[in-house]
Amino acid sequence: MNSYWLFGAVIILVLQSSISTGEAQDANTLEIIKQLQKRIDDLEKKVKSLEAGKPAETPGIDTPSKQRIEALDQKVKILERNRELEIEAAEAKAKEAPHIKLGAEGFSFASADRNFAIGLKGVLQVDSRTFLDDGGIAGNDSILLRRARPVLEGTVYRDFDFLFVPDFAGSSPQIFDAYVNYRYNPALQLRAGKFKSPIGLEQLMADRDTFFNERSLVTALVPNRDLGIDLHGELFESAISYDAGIFNGIGDGRNSSNFDFDDNKAFEGRLFFQPFKATANQALQGVGFGVAGSYENMQGNSATGLPASTGGTLPGFVTDGQQQFFAYNPGSNAVVTASGEHWRLSPQAYYYWGPFGFLAEYIISNQKVSRSVTGPFASASLDNRAWEITGSWVLTGEDATYKTLIPLRPFKPNQGDWGAFQLVARYAELDVDNDAFPLFSNPGTSASSAHAFSVGLNWFLNRNILVKTSFSHTDFSGGGGSGSTAPAAVTRQDENVFFTRIQLAF
Amino acid sequence: MKRIFGAAVIAAISLGIATAKELKLLNVSYDPTRELYQDFNQAFTKYWGAKTGDKVTINQSHGGSGKQARSVIDGLQADVVTLALGYDIDAIAEKGKLLPTDWQKRLPNNSSPYTSTVLFLVRKGNPKGIKEWDDLVKPGVTIVTPNPKTSGGARWNYLAAWGYALKKNNNDETKAREFVAALFKHVKVQDTGARAATTTFVRSGIGDVLIAWENEAILSIKELGKNDFEMVTPSISILAEPPVAWVDKVVNRHGTRTVAEEYLKYLYTPEGQEIAAKHYYRPRSEAVFQKYSKTFPELKLFTIDEVFGGWQKAQKTHFSDGGVFDQIQRANR
Repeated sequence: MNSYWLFGAVIILVLQSSISTGEAQDANTLEIIKQLQKRIDDLEKKVKSLEAGKPAETPGIDTPSKQRIEALDQKVKILERNRELEIEAAEAKAKEAPHIKLGAEGFSFASADRNFAIGLKGVLQVDSRTFLDDGGIAGNDSILLRRARPVLEGTVYRDFDFLFVPDFAGSSPQIFDAYVNYRYNPALQLRAGKFKSPIGLEQLMADRDTFFNERSLVTALVPNRDLGIDLHGELFESAISYDAGIFNGIGDGRNSSNFDFDDNKAFEGRLFFQPFKATANQALQGVGFGVAGSYENMQGNSATGLPASTGGTLPGFVTDGQQQFFAYNPGSNAVVTASGEHWRLSPQAYYYWGPFGFLAEYIISNQKVSRSVTGPFASASLDNRAWEITGSWVLTGEDATYKTLIPLRPFKPNQGDWGAFQLVARYAELDVDNDAFPLFSNPGTSASSAHAFSVGLNWFLNRNILVKTSFSHTDFSGGGGSGSTAPAAVTRQDENVFFTRIQLAF
Repeated sequence: MKRIFGAAVIAAISLGIATAKELKLLNVSYDPTRELYQDFNQAFTKYWGAKTGDKVTINQSHGGSGKQARSVIDGLQADVVTLALGYDIDAIAEKGKLLPTDWQKRLPNNSSPYTSTVLFLVRKGNPKGIKEWDDLVKPGVTIVTPNPKTSGGARWNYLAAWGYALKKNNNDETKAREFVAALFKHVKVQDTGARAATTTFVRSGIGDVLIAWENEAILSIKELGKNDFEMVTPSISILAEPPVAWVDKVVNRHGTRTVAEEYLKYLYTPEGQEIAAKHYYRPRSEAVFQKYSKTFPELKLFTIDEVFGGWQKAQKTHFSDGGVFDQIQRANR
């Protein structure tokens, strides 16, 4: 009996066990189905997301994490955009900020659009002149302040330039340049005020760039600075430059005072060609030639219309050493004045190629003069002529130029750099019309001609500092009579003079 | 008879050839009007050529409205200006002396041939649930709107928010200021112009809501994707009246007065109004507005004159240096 019970119990247990195993298997299957369903749902979501062009949700990232990532993404984007805006704002501000420049070319500042600008430059020249065998002329050996000129230049309303240059080197301050220039375009410009007359090639070189301390005898026959209005410009990429102006008119070698001495005006013009300037031919790029001239019919009689009296007390001409070798008769006994026509004609040329430079010009200054007060009263048209030829050679590899020579290796001796060196040589003559003697000038004291040669060495330490040294010899025809003052004392012997110059220009 | 007719034809043609002119106009405009004036210029060129025989070429310049006005004052040779707000043209009249100060009376509707308003552009599904101005200051909402110091559109946005807060709070200026200050705390990027702000929101994906010109919001949805953005219209906003004017001193100098005046008057014609509506600017013409009424959602609109006393006053109070906007910005830093 017990064994039946036992068997029965076992059977029941086995059955129960098999039933519970089957239930467990069903539950397991359900779980698997659920998981599969979930995976299908996830995949469907992914497909939908992809179809909608949205990034699929990354499995394993919960919603808070996702939100944090999105928030961080926003922050990064915002930071990036604000950074871009800051850069844009800084760039916009920089565009509106004025431009300030301080360097070897001086100090300048300009408005953001560069329509307004102002610059400060300057030239300072300290010279020495030492005369050899000068017959004891007192006071000519000198250390002097040749030029001390602050230069104020600028632009207003883009097209209007101005320049103002006083000089403090003389016995009293003078205005050398003061003008306004309107630029319609490079080919059409109008300048009004006081500036260099457009005649002499060497005269038109900037004072800081001349080969020697003093310009040649030719410059004694051209007007210096005058008051006037000048139409000028450059055509065909500077192949042609022109000037045509009306000026007060001044005597040879003179600087105008700030008003006219007569009512008539001088007409001055210049045409200069640089036909190869824009070409690729380097050997010809530096060719320049032209012609300049002036005409004035002077009103009345005026000594101011005669040549400059620099170096002496009377109107006349001076040597390289700035000593007067020719003078018109003194005003006390036979007053000589300019009256009537005065015209000048000056062919001129230069050539620069590599280290070599060459400059030549010729001038006729034809001036009518009159003698009054004491007889014989007379008048004459005097043809005074001069010419020069100048050569230069840069020893240190820089190109020679009509403008400012800039050393390739500025002076730094501890690095073996010594700047640039340039050899210069010049020959010039000035011939006074023979008709000037004896009625208008004393042949016993004034020379009828002067012939000068000069050699020199220029040392450009850098763009701003220049040391010049040169020797100049001048001999004379005529003159040499008695008298302790110029021109007799000057023409009595040849002039031999050593020059030095220390120049600061920026 | 035939000879006379032939001669007359030849004479007429010759006269036509002799008198036909080539004219150029420069339209200096604000940021989002590029597309509008591209279409309008084409239409006007055709119209003017047919009417006069003259060939007119119209150039466009676009940028922040205030910045554009400054450029004109500084010498940009605009024959016509079509800017975002009257204050900017006032500045050209007063500071530049380039047109009379009563310029706004020269054309109908205070020289505003079309209007617009300020709405919201949100991301698809409006995840932040933005429906009204108040929703902009809820925690976690990031707003994109340009800088009112440089953008005319931004000034309209600012004044729309201020006007809403005033009306909600019985004209309580303090509460209006608090609301606008709170709103600008949510502004994380301030572009210089309306178009740049749209680009920041749409292209760079920055922010939850762009406060935008209505035309700019509709354009973004139409051009850049219905699937990405939704336009939300608040219950109330400002009636933006972008004005237009010819610049007397410039047109006198260029000899373009007639064509410049006619160019702006053409904006008021049915053709001009239709082009404005097509570019989602609300036309002044009732007929054209009705035709495009589905484009423009209905909402209450207030004008700058009735709430702020005009542009001069609003500018001085809110946007001048040290004004309310500057004070809010300083406090929010």
